[in-house]
Amino acid sequence: MGDLQEKLGLEFPAYKFVVEQGKIREFVQAVGDPNPVYVNSETARQEGYQNVIAPPTFGVCVEMWGGPGFENLMKELGVNAVRILHAEEEFEYFKEINPGDEITATTRVSNIFRKEGKAGAMNFVTLETTHTNQRAEKVLISRMMIVERL
Amino acid sequence: MPVELYWENVNVGDEMPVLTKEPITELQLVKYAGGSGDFNPIHTVDAIGKKAGFGGVIAHGMLVMGFMGQAITNWVPNKYLKKVKTRFVAVTKPQDIITVSGKVIKKEENLITCEIMAKDQKGEIKTTGQFEFTLPKKS
Repeated sequence: MGDLQEKLGLEFPAYKFVVEQGKIREFVQAVGDPNPVYVNSETARQEGYQNVIAPPTFGVCVEMWGGPGFENLMKELGVNAVRILHAEEEFEYFKEINPGDEITATTRVSNIFRKEGKAGAMNFVTLETTHTNQRAEKVLISRMMIVERL
Repeated sequence: MPVELYWENVNVGDEMPVLTKEPITELQLVKYAGGSGDFNPIHTVDAIGKKAGFGGVIAHGMLVMGFMGQAITNWVPNKYLKKVKTRFVAVTKPQDIITVSGKVIKKEENLITCEIMAKDQKGEIKTTGQFEFTLPKKS
């Protein structure tokens, strides 16, 4: 990574992702979460939702399937993808996400710094992604912190 | 399905219901790769996991966070959840049995904060974190 501070605030082009009910089902099956609010619209409505909803970590699916690809992001940042670790992940929730929603996601570098440790220097990068639905409602913010071992 | 939960019923020191998962399998990692779109081969190709020094494939950190999300929403309905934050502490491997537990550490200004962690069958901590939620009041 070149000049770190230069990357602070860097924003990547927005992308769109349409949420499909089958994708939600595939995701919760992989996790092994049998909660019916993700697959049964009747149960979901009884519990006060508009339809089935996306589970708490579904943002990863929007970003991995809809986004520019992790390796491309890293290339853009000048980070060696082989030397990185996922250190932290945070999700902040604003509104439910339902099948048929068209999510627009925008990612920016919200924090970046270097730390000298016993094992050598490390770069910490936080990528913040804001998810907005087709009604221009903010539904989710994700914050992914990665560490590059130098 | 979560039982109806009220603000008055949750207090500092309360433990959330513990979730113990089935052992993680290689097949689950393949499914999660497809489900999430994270195709980093360190999670699915044994030779790459070996080359990276892990002796084989390792689980997606986000799968373990998915278990945390499952444990949380078994207790607190999604609609009340405001924030979940996870720190990835150690790698998780196939055959690991993950248990998620947590407890309430703060209750103020309409917001309840809990700490949460995921451990394996040997008690090794895989992830730590916090989550925040609101709840309806009885009165």
